[in-house]
Amino acid sequence: MTSTATAPGPTAPAPGPPPSPPDGRDRAGGRSGLLGLLDLPGQGVRAIVRSAATTPGRLTVIAVGLVLLSLVAGLAATLSVQDRDDTISGVIDHREPLAAAAQQVYRSLSDADATAASAFLSIGTEPPELRQRYERDVAEAGAALAKAASDASDVADAAAPVDVLNQSLPVYTGLVETARTNNRLGYPVGASYLREASELMRAKILPAAQDLYRVDTERLIDEQDSATGFPWLATILMLALLAALVVAQVYLTRRTNRLLNVGLVVATAAVVVSLLWGAVALIVQGSLVGGGQDDGSHRVDVLVRARIAALQARADETLTLVARGDGAAYEKDFGDNAAQLVGPDGQGGLLGEARGLIKDGDGVAKVADAAKAANDWLKAHKEVRAQDDAGQYQEAVDFAVLEDKTDGSAPAFRRLDDSLQAAIDVGRQEFLDDTHGGDRALTLLAPGLAVLAIVAAAGVTMGIRERLREYR
Amino acid sequence: MNRRGITVRAGVLAVVALLAAACGSPGKPVDPAPVGEAAWPQPAHVGGPDASAGGGSDTSCNPLASLAPDKGISIPDGSTMAKIKERGKLIAGVDQTTYLFGFRNPTSGNLEGFDIDLVNEIARQIFGAPEGHVQFRAITSGQRADVLKKQQVDIVVRTYSITCARKKDVQFSSVYYVAGQRLLVTKESKATKLADLSGKKVCAAKMSTSAAKIATDPAKLVAITVDNWSDCLVMLQQGQVDAISTDDTILAGMAAQDPTLQVVGDRFTQENYGIGVPKDNVDMVKFVNAVLENIRNSGAWQNSYRRWVEPSLGPASPPQPQYQ
Repeated sequence: MTSTATAPGPTAPAPGPPPSPPDGRDRAGGRSGLLGLLDLPGQGVRAIVRSAATTPGRLTVIAVGLVLLSLVAGLAATLSVQDRDDTISGVIDHREPLAAAAQQVYRSLSDADATAASAFLSIGTEPPELRQRYERDVAEAGAALAKAASDASDVADAAAPVDVLNQSLPVYTGLVETARTNNRLGYPVGASYLREASELMRAKILPAAQDLYRVDTERLIDEQDSATGFPWLATILMLALLAALVVAQVYLTRRTNRLLNVGLVVATAAVVVSLLWGAVALIVQGSLVGGGQDDGSHRVDVLVRARIAALQARADETLTLVARGDGAAYEKDFGDNAAQLVGPDGQGGLLGEARGLIKDGDGVAKVADAAKAANDWLKAHKEVRAQDDAGQYQEAVDFAVLEDKTDGSAPAFRRLDDSLQAAIDVGRQEFLDDTHGGDRALTLLAPGLAVLAIVAAAGVTMGIRERLREYR
Repeated sequence: MNRRGITVRAGVLAVVALLAAACGSPGKPVDPAPVGEAAWPQPAHVGGPDASAGGGSDTSCNPLASLAPDKGISIPDGSTMAKIKERGKLIAGVDQTTYLFGFRNPTSGNLEGFDIDLVNEIARQIFGAPEGHVQFRAITSGQRADVLKKQQVDIVVRTYSITCARKKDVQFSSVYYVAGQRLLVTKESKATKLADLSGKKVCAAKMSTSAAKIATDPAKLVAITVDNWSDCLVMLQQGQVDAISTDDTILAGMAAQDPTLQVVGDRFTQENYGIGVPKDNVDMVKFVNAVLENIRNSGAWQNSYRRWVEPSLGPASPPQPQYQ
């Protein structure tokens, strides 16, 4: 009896050949290896059932079960926390920078388009600051595109727009340079090259950039959500382990009339600590990452969409003037984009939405600046249209593109764009602070849970061995 | 020994064959970044054949006969010209993309060309001086009739060929220039007439008489139509079309912007340029005709022609007007 208790499990049937019928054993022996292997689990189960009929055997089964359960629960919890930690790091290191890169691609390209048109409107040699601005836009777009492309391979939705952008951007810049050369020679065909470039930008490149931004933003939101989800499997396993430990202790108390088993108490304490630590850390982490989403990336998304509408409207404004009387379609487009930006009453739209979302922090002032600049710009735009419609074309052009006209379109738009950029930076900072805090809440949790699981397993082993010794 | 070697070799072969069968062939190296055809970007609103302008062959009327001007240049009270004078602006629909006739000079920012000179002369007769009294409105070929019908402009001076079809909707002044349709091709091209371009792509502006000719020519050309003439030049320079066919005046302006192109063949249509006026403004037509008389006789026509057109197309004299 005692000897079987210390050697549980599959070794148990070894001393008991008599119970198995001779012919059956012969049959088993007669079967070649593979089928014999299939029979092993059955033999194991039978052996466990047989030995569990005795108290030491039952204790051994309980010990093995509890050790396995604590190791499995500990492993599940550790992996789940590690996975979440990796997800948050991924959100900080990859997803958010990618979404930012995608919006940078859009902004730079759209600004390049508007700047090229402004440079065309200026008389004689193009102003060096416009040229510089265009060059910087193209360089920024290229750099941001390389960043966005570096991570597009694993997402088919992102690969397609990146492909379009990579193929079209060099063609666009080539057309702009051809336009510039012809312009310098005094040939009006330069204007047609510029229109072709702009058409390529508006019909193909910018929609692709917008797609890319949408895809990257959706992925960011997905991963933020998965970093705040409830770890069901690990929680259920931990609770099951806790329940099993309690049941085992109640059973032991009844059997042995001893109130406490130190090993099992230690194991129970380890599991309780795991549960509490995990719960607190996950709640803190979840609320911080959620905060990073609400205060950070969601606000950034609204601001980015406001900026996209503003950039499109600015390109419309300059292209209306380039078209010189033939720009009704652009002017209509301007109206649509302006309505998207500030709403039909000048108070709503995406800027209004941003004002509603951002109630605290540095962002409030930036959004207020942006709203004021937007209203200045729309006022200046009305003036531009009035002058152009009254036949004062050159005055309208000067008012629209010259940076030194203080109440003109160009400086007002510049202020709007800068304020939106500043507000976006604030939102990104808040995202980073919160999400990083969430990451910190998980510090040491994964290794901690692993250690606690081992402590629980060790406690179970020690505790049950103590009782088993009493049967020797 | 030898026999054993054969056995071993056979065994190795068998194993290799088995492995090959199990793994399948290694296949070909993958093209890491396949690209379909690299399509050229196109100018906005590129279209197909467009015969809507009707041909110059329509003889249901005498397209050249305009309304005879009154004696001298005068602006009676209540006339269209008096209203323009009161407004302070002559609104003119012009082209800003056709070199030599109506184009924006990138170095000055001003609109210049033969057509623009005419507009300035008309403004001079109304206001005494053109400076500050002309509102240029850049329009495409396709918009010429539309802006006149909607009375959005007072005149259209934009290489506007007089045809019977168009005369149903708008009034024309007397003829101020006679052009003819020809071909613009690269210097390597052997084409000299439309028949040489069968199955090839030929470009023209939408709703122009040239586009109508290309669409209806028996040579079965592939017609490409665009908003502005210089969009055609862009497409020819990019190799997207094989030729441009329109009035020699416009083609001369394009050839002047690109030394690798040349105007070839004979004129195969006659295009009579007139100034377009809204249908109801009869007094304005007579006034414009009087101004044109003045321009022909004062030497202003020759001066403008010498400046813009003569270097490309050689000397010419103003066409004689016909009146009803």
